[in-house]
This record gives sequence, structure tokens and C-alpha cells, in this order.
Amino acid sequence: MDWKRLDAARGSVGPVELDLIEHYAQGKVSRRDFVRRGTIIGLSMPFMGAIIAACGSDDDTGSSGTSGGGGDTQPPSTQGDGGGGGGGTGPTGGTLVVGIQQGDAASGLDPVNMLDLGTYNVLSQSFEYLVGLGDDGNIAATALAESWSPNESGDVWTFNLRPGAIWSDGSPVTSADVAATMDRLSLQGNAGLSGVIGEGSTDSSDPAVAVITLLEANGNFPVLVSLFNAQSLITPADYTDGTTLDQRPEGSGAWVLDDWDATTNVAKFSRNPNWWGGQTPLDSIELRGFADISTAVTAMQSRDIDVIQQFPVIGGEGLLNDGNFVVLSPPSANHRQVWFNTQQGQFTDPLVRQALAWTLDRPQMVDTLWSGRAEIGNDHPVLSSLPFYDPDAVPQRVRDIEQAKALLAEAGVEGISTQCDTGDIQEVPQLAAIIQQNAAEAGFDIGVATQSNSTFYGAAWCPGASATDPTLPCDGSAEFGIVDYGHRPTPDVYFGSALATGGVWNSSNYANPDFDAQLSNYRTSVDVDGQKAAVGEIQKILWNDVPACYPYFYNYLSGHDNSVSGVQATALGHTILSAATKG
Amino acid sequence: MLRFAVRRALLAIITLLILVAIIFMLTRVFPSDPARQLAGPFAPQERVDAIAAANGFNDPLTTQFGRLLKSVVTFDYGDSFSSPGESVISLVVPALKKSAQLVFFALFLTLPIAIIGGIIAARKKDTLLDRLIVTLGLASASIPEFVSGVLLQYILGVRLGWFPAISNVPDNAGILTTLDYLVLPALSILIVYFGYIARITRAGTIAALEADYTRTAFMKGLTTSQVMRKHVLRNSLQPTVAVTGTQIGYLFGGLVGLEIVFNYPGLGRLTFTAATKQDFPLLTACVITVAIIFMITTLLADLIIAWMNPRARLNLGE
Repeated sequence: MDWKRLDAARGSVGPVELDLIEHYAQGKVSRRDFVRRGTIIGLSMPFMGAIIAACGSDDDTGSSGTSGGGGDTQPPSTQGDGGGGGGGTGPTGGTLVVGIQQGDAASGLDPVNMLDLGTYNVLSQSFEYLVGLGDDGNIAATALAESWSPNESGDVWTFNLRPGAIWSDGSPVTSADVAATMDRLSLQGNAGLSGVIGEGSTDSSDPAVAVITLLEANGNFPVLVSLFNAQSLITPADYTDGTTLDQRPEGSGAWVLDDWDATTNVAKFSRNPNWWGGQTPLDSIELRGFADISTAVTAMQSRDIDVIQQFPVIGGEGLLNDGNFVVLSPPSANHRQVWFNTQQGQFTDPLVRQALAWTLDRPQMVDTLWSGRAEIGNDHPVLSSLPFYDPDAVPQRVRDIEQAKALLAEAGVEGISTQCDTGDIQEVPQLAAIIQQNAAEAGFDIGVATQSNSTFYGAAWCPGASATDPTLPCDGSAEFGIVDYGHRPTPDVYFGSALATGGVWNSSNYANPDFDAQLSNYRTSVDVDGQKAAVGEIQKILWNDVPACYPYFYNYLSGHDNSVSGVQATALGHTILSAATKG
Repeated sequence: MLRFAVRRALLAIITLLILVAIIFMLTRVFPSDPARQLAGPFAPQERVDAIAAANGFNDPLTTQFGRLLKSVVTFDYGDSFSSPGESVISLVVPALKKSAQLVFFALFLTLPIAIIGGIIAARKKDTLLDRLIVTLGLASASIPEFVSGVLLQYILGVRLGWFPAISNVPDNAGILTTLDYLVLPALSILIVYFGYIARITRAGTIAALEADYTRTAFMKGLTTSQVMRKHVLRNSLQPTVAVTGTQIGYLFGGLVGLEIVFNYPGLGRLTFTAATKQDFPLLTACVITVAIIFMITTLLADLIIAWMNPRARLNLGE
């Protein structure tokens, strides 16, 4: 331990940063978690490197790690130069074709209203987030904010904007643009920022600095304005609600939208010559929508496309065994939420919900649906690799039919006949079929109703908020269904949007003051111990209350031909191509 | 002939009216709120209300039906629900062109092969060759085009690399490049329709070959080639023409599976997208477009049959 260097570092930071440094110095957090948490609160990589050096060598290597595969799997989610800047080392010029989801929601290229991975990918080529993606799959200062820091209490965050970032019309990206975007996001409610910021939250008196005052402290706020909160793309100040990228292709990012086919989600971009990151190696990119993921896999196998946004394990064996295909497996908390409507229908009694949870054969799901490329879930959305996950909070739920029957008897229910509503996405219908079989033995008679995703979202998942009851944000949602959630590096959106009282994606209509209180504790904790304590309580509450089952967290798979390099992917559907090369 | 064409045109208009009424009723069955759809699921209610008012979604049903009729007549269906800011026609026309390319290329491959196959089978009736063509045709016609499409795609596209596995024709592609991209879906259509058309041609040719006028022609001393050309084919191909006419309409709008397999942006896939996204203006435009194609192609088929057969002209009212 180099105390002199450590003390120097201690003296130069605020209390939030100091708390983390102390935890690391005392060995309470691993190096990987130190870097991850440090990045979130705005510590620079050189600074963290100095701390790590001062504390001496540590336990783990900090690798983000990926699942293995038949193909050439890249350990981090990036290859080649990666990062925010352009200028990869490979050949320049050419066009890269990326196969993406066609997109289901009828939002068009509306950055605030978009809901699907295909649209996320298109819009994030032209627009940028405040906080971008690092080489390790964590957030990093690779986008519009070149640094950020919290105040002492964690309720005011200051973002220093990148000099040289300009819109397509040549005007600079300023804090006024950030302020207007934050206002739109807080009003619209579709970005996990509801309850976090309010209208007028951003001070834009200095054009180069955006100071965002939160409704309450939040130790993870930079994640909520990063690419892991997909809708938080920064758009021009006069970009009114409902404006779409094809109507106003005026981004600040590496690519300029030239053409977009609305019906097939084919988007063509050319290089933005004025991008702050420099010249991209490629001349142009084409994002090509596929209505069917197996068709996209075929297109990748035949090399009609160069990069595939996402592919499944089942049906993707050809790619996994292709020696000329590079598998990207970025860190992933992607999961399926099997929700119960806790206020309407037959699942209002927690005992009944628990009963169904006990019937699930989670290892069977992971083996059958993901060939083992998934982590078993335990009915809360907290991934075990997160620094504040509490492994001792609750026991792992394993299939126990007798327990399920006993709970149903205790609830005074002999058997339940219900319907599981799902969207037609990837393995979800098959998951519903497994649940149907698993639960039948305990007396659940489940029918499976699969609809197109766009119908499903509006009709079964969240038809709309009750006009009179604020605890019913998804009034009339199906009593039992399965919905997909993309990756977030922290569970804030899973908690705040999907489970908190009045949460905009709360199809469970779950309203539990204890949960809300612990969520508030988690959000307002800017220290590691506070976050861990609150999350542990949340794990217990959700495990006992079961507003939803979380059977597994699956590995996200993306990839490209081995002639391509410099592609970064996130488990939320982004394909970052600013440093990509081909040939 | 003119009277016949006018009568058919009037019938077509009545059929269209009925179709529009059915579509209008069907779109009212869906539970979704079009204004909410346009505004986005999380938009404030004020914005939803403003959109509903601006688009007349709250108008009486008769007013809305009148608007729909007008849009059919003027081909102005307004903006798409699922693609904000895009006019419906701007979405339908490119898809229609794409479908036309695929359909006519597929027919260009299928018709000569199937017709020749049917004639050979008829001429060699009850021989091994006849049975081979009939059995092969029956088998191939029973395979849905998207199933044969997947097989062709994997074998000829992915494994052998002879043709593009995905039919996303590059912009500004020349005719040969375009056809190269269309070979696999066109072959998939050929596999289904070969059996269908060959068997109809065979049946028509056998009937014509056994007809009195054919016997008379042979007795008059005409050569086989002359008899086939002047007497048999004119009559035997009438069912083939009629079937082809009706099938073209289906091929324009019904190849949903095939277009998804090959990621081809045709009218079938567009119709499917419109239905799944509950984009009523787009769905209406797609269905009406396919209906118009149906009517035009069946009318053309009738006219061709009338040209081929004087008795048919008499029956048509001339």
C-alpha cells in the first residue's frame, strides 16, 4: 500500500468518491467493482489507475468476461480500437451492412417514444447520449459528456460537455439541448427518468456545463443518461415531442441518416464529416431490418450482412460453430419478466403467485432455451455479478410442487385456469410453453396466447394508466404474462419503471410502500454499503411478494464476420460502428 | 367485347365497394386506439386527444366511411399510423413494384416449363413420363413456397453460394443483378406452381386432343404440329390462362411467408406488417391494391380467353 499516493488521492475528491476509495482500500469491493462504480460516479481511468496502483495488486483481473462458444468469442464486447473515437487501424472506406430487428412498436424513429432494439440501434447512430460505452462494456466518457461528478449528497450532477460536439447544421451541442431533452424525457415518462428528474431540472446557464438537479439523490444517475437508458439520446433543443429522425436528420453522432425505409426498417447512413470523434474509417453503413431473426441468421451465414445485431442460441448454432464468425457477448442483464397483475384478476394473493413461482424448473429453461448460456434467476431483477447483490438475502427457489400445492391450499384455491399473454419474440413463446407444463402439475391450467409484439405491448402488457387510480399504471394489463427486458448495468430501470408504485412499465400494477421505501434508499445511497443494504431488502421483498418471476438472465449474442473489426455491441441492441472497419 | 369489358368494370366497382365496407368493419373490431398509436404509448393524453381531433377519429362512423371511400377513389390514404410522417402511398408503391418484379420473373420461369410439362404429359398420357410429371407436380405443389424457399436458401444460397440467400436487391442494381437476387424466391414459386399449372394444362390438352374438332383436323390431313398450334393449344390453354389470372393476384399479396424468409420488401410483407401493427390506412391500401390487381388480372384473363375462343366471346355477350 502506497499511503502517500492514496492520501493524495483522498484529498482531491468529494465524500461520494472518498467512500468508494475507502471501500476499495479496505478490500470491501473488488477491483472490477471499484472500476465499475468509479466510472459511474465520474472518476477518470487515470485516477482509478493511480488508486489501484497505490493499493497494490488485487484479487481479480477486471475482465468483463463472456460465455464461450464454438466461434471466436471476444472477451470484451469490443474488438479493435473501439471506444468513442473514430479512426480504426484497419482499411478505410466501404459500407458495412448490419442486420437488425425490424422493430415492432409503431413509434417510427422517435427517440423519446421508441421501444424496440431495432429502433434503438438506428437512432443511436445519429444521436448520442451524455454518457457512452467503454471498452469493458461499462459506461465511460466516450459520448457527449467528457466528465461528470456528483455533489456531496448525490442529488446534483454536473456534466461537462465535450468541446467540438456540433449538430449537423454546425451549431454547437450545448447545455440548453441537454436541458430540453431532459424536460421532454421527464414529461414523456418512457425513459426510466420519471421520479428521478422533473421539468426544469437542468441548469444551462453555462453552455458547456449541464447541471442536473434530481428530485432525490441517485448514486447511479450517469447510467440513466447513458446508452443503457436507450431513450435518453440528446436531441436539439427545438426538437419537439413526436419529431422523428427521418423528419429532422440533425444529429451530433458519427453518422448522418441519408435514407430510411419505414416498412422494412432499412436505414442508410453516411459519415458525418463534422463529428467530434474524427473521421470514421467506413464511408457508410446500412442497417437492414429483418422481420424474422432466423432470416437474419441465414443472412449472416451467407454473408449477405456483415454484422448481426443479435441472434439466439437455438437457431444460431450455425454461427456459433462458424470459424469465420466473431461472437460478441457483451455483459448482459437481459431477462424475461413473468409478471402477475397484483391488483386485478386471479393473482392478487401473494400465496398464489408464490405457488406458481415454486413450480418453475429454471435449470430446464436455461438448458432447453439457452443451451446453458444463461444464469438462473431468483425472482428479482438483480444480477448476481452486480456489486450490491446480496447472495444471502434469499435462498434460490427450486422447483417444489408440494410446496406449490400447499401454498394454493393455504390461499384456499383448488386450481387456477388462466392465460399467459406473450409477444412473439425470440424464445418467449417456448418459455410460456415450459411454464404451462411446469405449473400444470400443481393445478394451474394455463393457456398460452402469443400475439405480435406491437399488439401485445398495447393490449396485454400495458394498455394505459388508470385515470383515477395512480397505483394502476397499466390498468387492465393481462393477469399473467411474459415481457422482455433489455440490459441495464444497474437495476434502476427494472425497479423504478417495472416495479415501483405507478412505474410506467409496471404491468404487475405492483404497489408496495416497503418496496418503494427501499427503492428510495437504494437510489439515494451514494455509498456502496447503503446500496447493498437496500438491494438486499429489495431482493427479500420481491422474493416473498412475487409481483413477477425472473426465471433467468440470458447471455446476449451479437457478432460479425472476421473481416470486420472495431465493432462494439451492447446487450441493449446498440451496434457502435464509429471505429469499425471492413476488409 | 366492349360491352363485356364495361360490365366487368361495373362488377369490379361493386366488388370494391363491398370490400371497402368489410375492411372498414374489420378495422373497427381491433381494440386499439389509433390516436394513442400515433402519439406513442406514453404520450400525454392531451396529445392523444389532439391527434384524434385532427384526424377525425371521433367523427361519426358514416363520416369516417365516407372518408375511406374517398381515399379509395383518390388513392390518397393519408399518413401511415406505424410510420409517422410517411404517406401510405409512398409505402405501397415501392412494395408494389418489388412484388411485380418477383411475380413476373417467377411467372416467366414457371409458365413455359409448366405448360410444356403439361402438354408433354398429355401427349404421353399414361406413360411413365406422364406419371412422373403428374406425381412430381403433385408433390411439388403440396410444399408451401416458404418451405421450399428455406431449403433452397440453405442449399443454393448458404451452402453452395450460387445465389444470394437474401433478396435485398442493392439500390440501382441492373436487371441481371436484380434477377440474380430474385432467383431463389422465384424458384420457390416455380416449385409450387409447376405442378398446379402443369396438371391443369395436361387436363385441358387431353380434353382438346380427344375433341371432335381435333379428330376432324387430323382427318383433313393437317400435321400434328398444325393441329396442336391451330386447334389444340387455343382450347387447351384456356383453363391455364384463367388460373394464372387469378393466381397473379394471390402472388402479389399472399407471399408473406416467402417474403419474410428472403427479407423481400414486397406487398405481402407490407400487408402483414400493416396488420400486425394495426396500421389501418396502410392495411386498407394494401388490401385494396391487391383487390384491384385481382380484378385487373382476372379481367385480362377473361379477355385473353375470349380472344382465344370465339364461343367464349359469344358467352360474354358479344
